[in-house]
Amino acid sequence: MIATVALILDTFREAFARRIFWGFAGCCTALLVFLIFIMRIDVVAGALATVTLFGRAMPTTDVQSLVQQTQSVIAMALYFFGMALSVFASAGLVASVFEPGRIELLLSKPVSRTRILLGRYLGNLLVVAANIVYLIAGSWIIFGVKTGLWGIGYLYSSLFTIFIFAVLLAVIVLIGVLWESAAIAIMTSFAIMFLTPILAQHQQIDRLLSSEWSRQTVKILYYALPKTSDISVMIRHIILNQPIESWMPVWSTAIFGAVMLGAGILHFRRRTF
Amino acid sequence: MPVYAIETENLTKVFASGWSKRSLTAVDNISLRVPVGSTYGLLGPNGAGKTTFVKMLLSAAHPTTGRAMVFGRDSREPAARAPIGYLPENHRFPTYLTGWDMLDFYGALSGMPSSERRRRIPELLELVGLESRAHHLRLGKFSKGMLQRVGLAQALIHSPRLLVLDEPSDGVDPVGRKQIREVLLQLEQQGVTIFLNSHLLAEVELFCREVAIIQKGKLALSGTVLELTSGSGYRLEIAGAPENLETELRARARTAAQNNGNLQLVFQTREEANRALDLARSHQCEVETFGRTRSTLEEVFMKTVEDPHHA
Repeated sequence: MIATVALILDTFREAFARRIFWGFAGCCTALLVFLIFIMRIDVVAGALATVTLFGRAMPTTDVQSLVQQTQSVIAMALYFFGMALSVFASAGLVASVFEPGRIELLLSKPVSRTRILLGRYLGNLLVVAANIVYLIAGSWIIFGVKTGLWGIGYLYSSLFTIFIFAVLLAVIVLIGVLWESAAIAIMTSFAIMFLTPILAQHQQIDRLLSSEWSRQTVKILYYALPKTSDISVMIRHIILNQPIESWMPVWSTAIFGAVMLGAGILHFRRRTF
Repeated sequence: MPVYAIETENLTKVFASGWSKRSLTAVDNISLRVPVGSTYGLLGPNGAGKTTFVKMLLSAAHPTTGRAMVFGRDSREPAARAPIGYLPENHRFPTYLTGWDMLDFYGALSGMPSSERRRRIPELLELVGLESRAHHLRLGKFSKGMLQRVGLAQALIHSPRLLVLDEPSDGVDPVGRKQIREVLLQLEQQGVTIFLNSHLLAEVELFCREVAIIQKGKLALSGTVLELTSGSGYRLEIAGAPENLETELRARARTAAQNNGNLQLVFQTREEANRALDLARSHQCEVETFGRTRSTLEEVFMKTVEDPHHA
């Protein structure tokens, strides 16, 4: 346990030193400050009176709809842009462990290779999760205070964002173990992030494909790869209090992540440094 | 209680290239035993397989065949590595850590509780001669010598029973080298086994009791430094030898030379050397030195690595 905590804390230290953590926290704080000072919502007797942005009145319908839509926009921005930033930052944190002269010393300690890799993985996940929770919880409190609406769907959305990052981080770890390359890890993660929304349209793509072989390939890719697009739709449904039709995107993505992480651990255990 | 701190059995490492199907045998069937409490030097030219051998001891590299045991346990078991303190050669310590943080981190990885680490860290930083201002300085600002010192402190943080040091005095000034040697001597007196991998033959000769020389992945030679450096003859150096005596002694000796007016003679056997000594004393000659000839470790090393039979 001491060793695992040390590995997690070490990842935080490295993230602090590389300004990754502070960069994230700075962006999140800027958004929170924006919500506190720039966006002004006046609610009178539970109904929306005015919403002003940079001092200008905005067209509105009702307060709940406005809050949910805004939360949805923040969650989506965090989900896609925040994820891209997180991948960019984390790839270096994973690859740095495998540097010659550093890895040998780590491996000489009485800690199993699985624990070393998982410690680094968890540390990295917590660095990003801390910022996601900070932004989501912070903005949730601001919206709650300003409007009196405390719906927890928005809070739940942070779990989905952390979950999808955990899956992409597993890919980064596997690539880090295989090639020690932050660049390849970033490219692969971005490829997944850009490819999976296209694959999410597999039913429409099906109609455009002439051969059965290509239709099956698209279907297999859709089910095998993480469903970032489908999960973003789920997040939106949760925030807007709409029912979730299927949890398949979550569990199939979880399987993908587990396979990637398992493969990373397996290869790391066998590898000679 | 195991007799050997390190024991390898037919340890072999073959690096295979996946595409070209070529392979390189870095370590070839090495069986080595390092007794508990000894000071052992591992020597070999560049590319001889020393680093790969050390990496297999620490489980950073997996053997192709054979096994490496540390205090009787297979080094691949994490618990087997608990008594090992290691200082790598081309270390890359995390530059974002301070000297204190680094020791704290590696101490925690060795399973030390926080209170013990807090007690041990200042002791060790002082032991390796790092000034107090360096304790909270980032490693990125450390000089090469300071990094070696903090690296040694890192290897000692959990009071290891086996210390594996790869070029410990690399980049350290002569004063620092002496300090490091003194620390190692203290540890030797405490019964810590020290396994030294160094290119500095004089350093190994000065410090190690036993050595092994690896050449092209194979164990070329091993033994105590005393055995390996003891020569095969006896040396007599005398002053004031008359000409007729000199002629006679030169005829008896294996080799003879003049040095600063002294006659230096090397004899094949002890008996021959003693007879020559008696003869010299009977001619009222002054004896400068008398004893067994010795080679330096460097001479032994060069002879071993240049000998085609060892290749």
